[in-house]
Amino acid sequence: MMNTKNAIYYGIFLVSLIILPFFLNSDWVSVMTTFLIYSVVSLSQDIVLGRAGMFDMGHAIFFGLGAYSTAILNMVYGWPILATVPVAIILPIIASVLLAAPIIHLRGDYLLVTTIGFNIVFTQALKNNVFGITGGPNGIFGVEPLKILSFTFSSQLSIYYLAFFILLLTLITIHNLETSKPGRALHYLNLDSLASECIGINTKFYRLYSFALSAALAGLAGVVFTLQFSAVSPDAFNFIQSVLFFTIVLVGGPSSIPGVLLGTFFMFVVPEIFRQFAEARYLVFGVAMILIMIWRPKGIWPVKFGRIPNYLTKE
Amino acid sequence: MEIFFQQLVNGLTIGSIYALVALGYTMVYGVLKLINFAHGDLVALSAYIGLVIVMQLMGALSPVLLIIATFIITMILTAVGGVILERTAYRPLRKAPRLSAVVSALGASMIIENGIMLIWGPMPRIFPASVVPNANFNIHGVYISLMQILVLVISFALMVSLYLFVNRTKLGTAMRACAIDQDAARLMGIDVDKVIVTTFVIGSALGAVGGLFIGMYYRGIYFNMGWIYGLNAFVAAIIGGIGNIPGAMLGGMLLGIFNAFIAGYVSSSWSLALTYVLLIVIMILRPTGILGERVAEKV
Repeated sequence: MMNTKNAIYYGIFLVSLIILPFFLNSDWVSVMTTFLIYSVVSLSQDIVLGRAGMFDMGHAIFFGLGAYSTAILNMVYGWPILATVPVAIILPIIASVLLAAPIIHLRGDYLLVTTIGFNIVFTQALKNNVFGITGGPNGIFGVEPLKILSFTFSSQLSIYYLAFFILLLTLITIHNLETSKPGRALHYLNLDSLASECIGINTKFYRLYSFALSAALAGLAGVVFTLQFSAVSPDAFNFIQSVLFFTIVLVGGPSSIPGVLLGTFFMFVVPEIFRQFAEARYLVFGVAMILIMIWRPKGIWPVKFGRIPNYLTKE
Repeated sequence: MEIFFQQLVNGLTIGSIYALVALGYTMVYGVLKLINFAHGDLVALSAYIGLVIVMQLMGALSPVLLIIATFIITMILTAVGGVILERTAYRPLRKAPRLSAVVSALGASMIIENGIMLIWGPMPRIFPASVVPNANFNIHGVYISLMQILVLVISFALMVSLYLFVNRTKLGTAMRACAIDQDAARLMGIDVDKVIVTTFVIGSALGAVGGLFIGMYYRGIYFNMGWIYGLNAFVAAIIGGIGNIPGAMLGGMLLGIFNAFIAGYVSSSWSLALTYVLLIVIMILRPTGILGERVAEKV
């Protein structure tokens, strides 16, 4: 349950996101739009990595599948963007279940390596232009803007609010997940998978469930990504991107919404501020990652699970 | 049939390099249960160090001495790098949650990769052609170069000595003990920190040999090559069963031969993807790798 204090904080956060574009020039609105899109992907990565505790280092696949579904259906088959949205959600779900089902029993690091493998196969397939529809190494350019009734989402501001709407949807989804049966099941199986199986939680089902849910959200973020850049290219979804999402969740704080948002901010907005030091910025990032992990091994803003008496958690 | 043997020779050469790098991953994983993501970048760094040494000493020494000096200096410097890495990025996190150490490893990898870029620039650098004399031997239509012979012989010698070290010496036994149970090893009077530092020294030195071979065999080196060679070597370690030293050697050889045949018979644009398809298939069929033992879950 969300208490009043948290509700006020989220209210302030969301209202400031709504009024923010009026104080920024269009370059910064586009940076903030990217921030919103990547926040959704990071939050969806957090469902698998932080909440279900599975080391998924191939999350860019689902993000990319969403983005590519929209781009391909629009450019190759001439669908309107709105009609591609359900496909861009359902296709990543199907892919995530099919990919995850045979490997769900793998232990931590082996799962990590296999998901890296999936991601590399995915990008390689995009680059090699499978079925002649992915556009090869350059990707697909010139995707149409979204039209709903007579309104066209072509200005940067309208895409910003579209991305904001998706983030809002994601936050509501995750809040509902936290306070529902599947969310509690994921929490248990993350803490102790054997014990949760013993009390009757179908761990395999809930693991696939978390993959499917996060793939759906990432696919939706992919649609907005395509609209933002009106283009897709394989390098936006390569395995380095997955590493980035993975890092964001762990640096921010697994299963902590403010932590993940803060992590995304550090990874995608702060570099824009330090543009003039572009060459050295990843070096500084590396140093920051090590220092943060040494000082705050549970992330910058770790999650607090309340209501457990202290004497129970002490070993 | 000649293509087959030619690709086999090429595959064994690449495989030996993969195996050398894979040993670094697998040894650290065995002792710390940590994927050392920075290892690949350390290998790239060693290629750059080797290039600097070759450029400085070329002409001053005879070819044989030049090669020996380059290898020894690079191995020492990279081993120092490995120890610094362990001290700064991994030791403070030994008690932290496992994923924190993974992030720290990724951070270290970013530091080395971008450090190389800032020092030597983003453009690829080329190793001089004449470090190893360019001689080819023709055995019944199969060409094998002096460089390939050097790679095969040195890798084989290093792997045999590593095997003997791990199985026949006191420190090697301590290393195996730490891999099985660190706390019990400490109770038996083993200095675990010393074992971990030794692991990093050996792993990095072997990686340095791998990096030099990459530089001398392919000649082109670039700042972010650590990722791709590192990942391939890492896949080799996983295929063989991570944490298992003979497994890493076997995995490296298998992967090298597999890659060479894919490049020879199928197409090189799919070789990377097929490498990972092989990995995924092995993970599904044998979740702990070919030589990895299945560990029962402790309750």
